[in-house]
Amino acid sequence: MRFRKCQMQRLLCGLVLFSCCYSGMLSAHAVVTDYSLKIQPVSAGKASQVKLNFNSSIELGLSQVSLVRTGDVEEVLPVTAGEEPGVAIIDMPALDAGVYALHYKIFAADGHITEDIIHFTVQP
Amino acid sequence: MEGIADFLDSIIGGIDLISYSLAIGGLIWGLFILRPWENTHKQDPARDILSVRTVRLIYQGAFSLALVQLTKIFLKIWLMDSILGRWPFPEFAETTQFIGGIIRLLLALTLAGYVYYVLRQHVNSRKHWVNTACIAVLMIISGAWLVHAAGRFDDRLLLMSLTTMHQVAAAAWIGGVFQLVSIWQLTSQKQISDNYWPDSLKRFSRVGMVTVAGILMSGVPMAWGYITTWNGFIGTGYGNILLVKILLLAIALGFAWLNRSAVLQYFSSANKQNVFSRVPYYIEAETFVLITLLFTAASLASQPPAIDIPELTATWGEVLHSFAPRIPRTTSPSHAALLAGEAGRLAIIGQTPSAAATAWSDYNHNIAGIFVTVMSLFAMLSYRKSLTWTRYWPIGFIGLGVFILLRADAETWPNGTMGFWESMLKNGEIFQHRIATLLVFLLGGMELRARMTSDPDSKLPYVFPILCAFGGLMLLTHSHVGFQAKSYFLIQIGHTFMGLFALIMAIGRWLELKLDSPGKNIAGFISVFAFFQIGLILIFYQEPLY
Repeated sequence: MRFRKCQMQRLLCGLVLFSCCYSGMLSAHAVVTDYSLKIQPVSAGKASQVKLNFNSSIELGLSQVSLVRTGDVEEVLPVTAGEEPGVAIIDMPALDAGVYALHYKIFAADGHITEDIIHFTVQP
Repeated sequence: MEGIADFLDSIIGGIDLISYSLAIGGLIWGLFILRPWENTHKQDPARDILSVRTVRLIYQGAFSLALVQLTKIFLKIWLMDSILGRWPFPEFAETTQFIGGIIRLLLALTLAGYVYYVLRQHVNSRKHWVNTACIAVLMIISGAWLVHAAGRFDDRLLLMSLTTMHQVAAAAWIGGVFQLVSIWQLTSQKQISDNYWPDSLKRFSRVGMVTVAGILMSGVPMAWGYITTWNGFIGTGYGNILLVKILLLAIALGFAWLNRSAVLQYFSSANKQNVFSRVPYYIEAETFVLITLLFTAASLASQPPAIDIPELTATWGEVLHSFAPRIPRTTSPSHAALLAGEAGRLAIIGQTPSAAATAWSDYNHNIAGIFVTVMSLFAMLSYRKSLTWTRYWPIGFIGLGVFILLRADAETWPNGTMGFWESMLKNGEIFQHRIATLLVFLLGGMELRARMTSDPDSKLPYVFPILCAFGGLMLLTHSHVGFQAKSYFLIQIGHTFMGLFALIMAIGRWLELKLDSPGKNIAGFISVFAFFQIGLILIFYQEPLY
């Protein structure tokens, strides 16, 4: 009987071990389903706005969008809520022609934080 | 510290579901299977012992759930502070996650407190069981605002309800299996009569079928709502993890069927053999599978649904190409060539795929595959009595561990510029690789000692399947996350199937050690075959260029 008891204890230890050693992935739930840059490119030398549509509700107060310039230099941009839920409006400064990216970190209503990048080009 | 915070944040989901299953599954067991109030007039001491044990598991689960919920809130704060680089209050206090999390925490604490201070004193009182159920229902409902569906725009309430139903049905099944493990412990310790074991199995069998029906009835519409296409099922991380969940469910149902067959046989022919010498071990193996299933379910909740990422979905051809047989890569690019391509590969503006990085990774996986395949072939040969020297095959793990340590993360010690500890603290993926390396050393060392020992009562042989299952769990939830979802998915899919085979290997070996013939031989063969399959996946592994 002692042997069987030990087996059960071992199983329970195994369960604890399982619990302690789980490794997971970076939470990623809120994803961009559409964005205005697809149909409305940014023109050089003019401030503009970019609209991001997410697949879920987002908490803008806990989200951050940065403009990435050549050399991966990042600048945090102001973000406001759109009229519809899950929409973020980003105020872009006037930019020179070139290649840029938007680096966003979004806190979704389900508690997951998503980090992703959208590349875009500013035409002269 | 972001890597550690992210790592802990992801493990907590699985622990949450285990605690939830202990509490809610235990409560369902008490209400529908044990029904302690029916014992008031019979005065059966064994049933009192069973009731006390059930109540204990419920409050332990509920206290654990409250602690996990509190930890989740702290981890979320830590993670946001790390990612956003600022203190997340007061904004975080206004989110559904914070408010819902606090409400769930308080309700879990209320449930735990009521069960501990009240139900424990009135264990045979139906009224107190009903009161407990009422508190539990509130706690279950409060959790609906913390699930995937809570943030969605379409069919929000329907999906929240289906998710909650799915969780309760799964908790009833898994919590019931935890109860069976506990009852077998009482039986084997002779605290209760042998009769309670088959009786409990029989009663749970009926409830188990209802819970599986509940899992399917709630899970199928959710899967349809989140995936909608076959390509989404095959070509996304969400679909891939769901596929693993389905396969794990199938394995668990296989064990459930074996248990049910043994119980029916017992009650029709009074044959004790299967019920007492096999079923307990099937249930142990089923527990391994179900725990893995819970962590996989938690991992699924962190994936974007396939329906939302049609442009990032891999095709059938791309998925099959990941597993296509080919000549393994046996030459590696130099460390200098690898580092030369890293700046471009990791850049945001002007990102350039690195052929050297892909070749480096392919080489690592393919060589590891050669190690594993050779070990599995020696493991097969070790069953022949004329080739006893082949029983030392686990020594290959030591070699594999050294290889992984030197090659897995080129940017860190000993090849790269990042320090050993610094890299683990900053990068969750490197942290996982280091755990995997430690695991490989432990696997080799422990199993080698186990095979060399002459003590027939040695417990060492049981360490190997536990570590294998743990490794499988890591692989099932391992992900190379980054900004190119499709490429990362194609990397993830190979790891996922290796994780599944590692779990099969673990439960096969566990049952080989526990069962008598012929089950022992079948389980042993399945275990070694699964090991061989891991070797093949690694040998043919090829990474997309990114």
